[in-house]
Amino acid sequence: MSDTTQFRVLDFDCPTCASTVERALSNADGVQRVEVHYSTGRVEIEYDDSVATPDAFAETIENQGYTPQPA
Amino acid sequence: MNKQSLTQYYRKHRKAIVTATSGLLYGGGWSLGYLTSFDLAGAAILILATVVGGYDIAKTAYHEVTNRTLGIKTLVTLAAIGAIIIGEYWEAAAVVFLFSLGSYLEGRTMRKTRTALQELLEMTPETATVRRDGELQEVPAREVEEGEVVVVKPGGKIPVDGTVVDGESAVNQAPVTGESAPVHKADGDEVYAGTVNQEGALEIRTTGAGSDTTLERIIRRVEEAQEAQSPTESLIDRFAKYYTPAVIVLAIGAYAVTQNAILSLTLLVIGCPGALVIGPPVSIVSAIGNAARSGVLMKGGEHLERAGKIDLVAFDKTGTLTKGETTVADVRGFGIDDDEVLSLAATAEKKSEHHLADAIVDAAHERPTAATDGGTTVAQAEDANGGRQSVPDPDDFDVVAGKGVIAHAGGHEVVVGNRALLDDHDIDTPDRIADYVREREERGETVVHVIRDGDVIGAIAMRDELREAAPGVVAALRDAGIETVMLTGDNERTAAAVAEEVDIDEYRAELLPEDKQSVIEAYQADGHVVAMVGDGINDAPSLATADVGIAMGAAGTDTAIETADMALMADDLERIPYAVKLSKATRWNVLENVGLAVLTVTVLLAGVLTSYVTLASGMLVHEASVLAVILNGMRLLRY
Repeated sequence: MSDTTQFRVLDFDCPTCASTVERALSNADGVQRVEVHYSTGRVEIEYDDSVATPDAFAETIENQGYTPQPA
Repeated sequence: MNKQSLTQYYRKHRKAIVTATSGLLYGGGWSLGYLTSFDLAGAAILILATVVGGYDIAKTAYHEVTNRTLGIKTLVTLAAIGAIIIGEYWEAAAVVFLFSLGSYLEGRTMRKTRTALQELLEMTPETATVRRDGELQEVPAREVEEGEVVVVKPGGKIPVDGTVVDGESAVNQAPVTGESAPVHKADGDEVYAGTVNQEGALEIRTTGAGSDTTLERIIRRVEEAQEAQSPTESLIDRFAKYYTPAVIVLAIGAYAVTQNAILSLTLLVIGCPGALVIGPPVSIVSAIGNAARSGVLMKGGEHLERAGKIDLVAFDKTGTLTKGETTVADVRGFGIDDDEVLSLAATAEKKSEHHLADAIVDAAHERPTAATDGGTTVAQAEDANGGRQSVPDPDDFDVVAGKGVIAHAGGHEVVVGNRALLDDHDIDTPDRIADYVREREERGETVVHVIRDGDVIGAIAMRDELREAAPGVVAALRDAGIETVMLTGDNERTAAAVAEEVDIDEYRAELLPEDKQSVIEAYQADGHVVAMVGDGINDAPSLATADVGIAMGAAGTDTAIETADMALMADDLERIPYAVKLSKATRWNVLENVGLAVLTVTVLLAGVLTSYVTLASGMLVHEASVLAVILNGMRLLRY
């Protein structure tokens, strides 16, 4: 089933950083839709919950060099 | 400090620690090379500074490349590696250190902008005291069910949206509506989650909890507004897509022609149009955040940019410039008793939902009616029985939009309406009635005629008090160089009197609801950028037609929040000059930021091509310009 989760990344330091994270998340397993906003730092992910978990997304964001916080 | 907390500390402050270490190494390596002859040692320390400061940058650059986005971190990494290869260790270390320092400061300042709204959310308490099974229980605020009664002590924050069912208090609604003065709340009044109960205990029947509260909806709305790109932002984004690859091609081309590696690497450093892409979003996010905290919701950057060009503000009269609380000021019967006129009119108007009708029916209720012949006690007794029993129902009733009503009661035809309705029915008005009407209208009152079986038997004058703030608001807009117009359905004379009282530039009278739209369109055709201020429900079409639709008193009405370009949460007219000026300031701020960014890029490009600017100085100027636009944009947070 499809589920939605949100994170807040407060340490994006340029708009491209946000697009990089958006690309990385959209390539992650089970992701159906992803929005990453530089201006507010809001990350919204719609995903298939039989394939992926929010923790995996948090890790993806961390791997890109940014700190996800629960929104 | 134990090992775990040390790790946590490092994680939290990683960027600062990495930047500081790389800075210290850079300083050390530079001094060693400059002051002593240990060139090799100096070079080694500078390389170490580059690696320490550059590791995280390179890691992100790797992700940028694998995700096929071309970002500044890729460019900085390439430039640093290139500089080391050609033996310019000092340049490599300087570029990496300056970039880390710059992005650390940028991240920190942006965090402030990003958390400005979160502070609003933190106003909502985590727990609520609920009456369950006859007992008071402390439960998480999100788990309160609709219909449950929540008890809030004096000084406590209200955890849910709801209706007061018991108690009386003053509530500070600033977090939701931006009003600084507390609002009196009693039985039946609506209260919002996140507001503060200041005086007495309140019992509140929950209408919304958790994410279903006005405050949560406002914040969702504001975030969407901040995330929506303004036309300037999307233009710059499109430009930036080509700028970076173009500079890389230029760097490669320049190397092929000049064989000057420093020149090419410096081009890479300035290849990210940092200040240009960062400036406008920071300005807009700061402005929208500031507005939200003052009780003004802006729909997005696009609307904000348009609002910055407003040169004419049209106000709907009733409920906007006036309080919207119409009361009967005077009743005059001609040939019959005053009270009988009121009583007849009330019967005819009883089923109408027009605000003038309400005023007439309420007045009939309060006054001793003709039927009871001065029996105040009887009228009060009927009041106590509730409802409008003292006013009989009409046999039938028709509304003539914008003109009045035609009803039948007790075997008579009763018409209540304005002059237009009289003209439609070829009814003559005797002079003494016309004189009375003129006299009342010149005081800014609205007068309706009461006609029984074709004869004008009386008139009722009604008054809707001006808001105290109205003249000041009009004056403030005039000072800001903005024209003001009042739109009203009232007749010419009443409108002229009110317009004079408010000292508004222009007025348009006798407008039917659809006329207001055409008036706005006409102003637009004359080249004006028009803002329309109204209540968001009756004025929805004209609000939509205007370049910027501003809805007042939107806190309780979701449709107004959804449809208006700007929504004033409170009925606070004084927010309008503030909102218009903030929009203008934002438009200038965006232009300043774009101007500064373009200037920086031009100067840098010229400097690089003439070899005045190298890697380190290029990076310094680049980072300084980014910080400058962020700080400039953030001024709007404190506007």
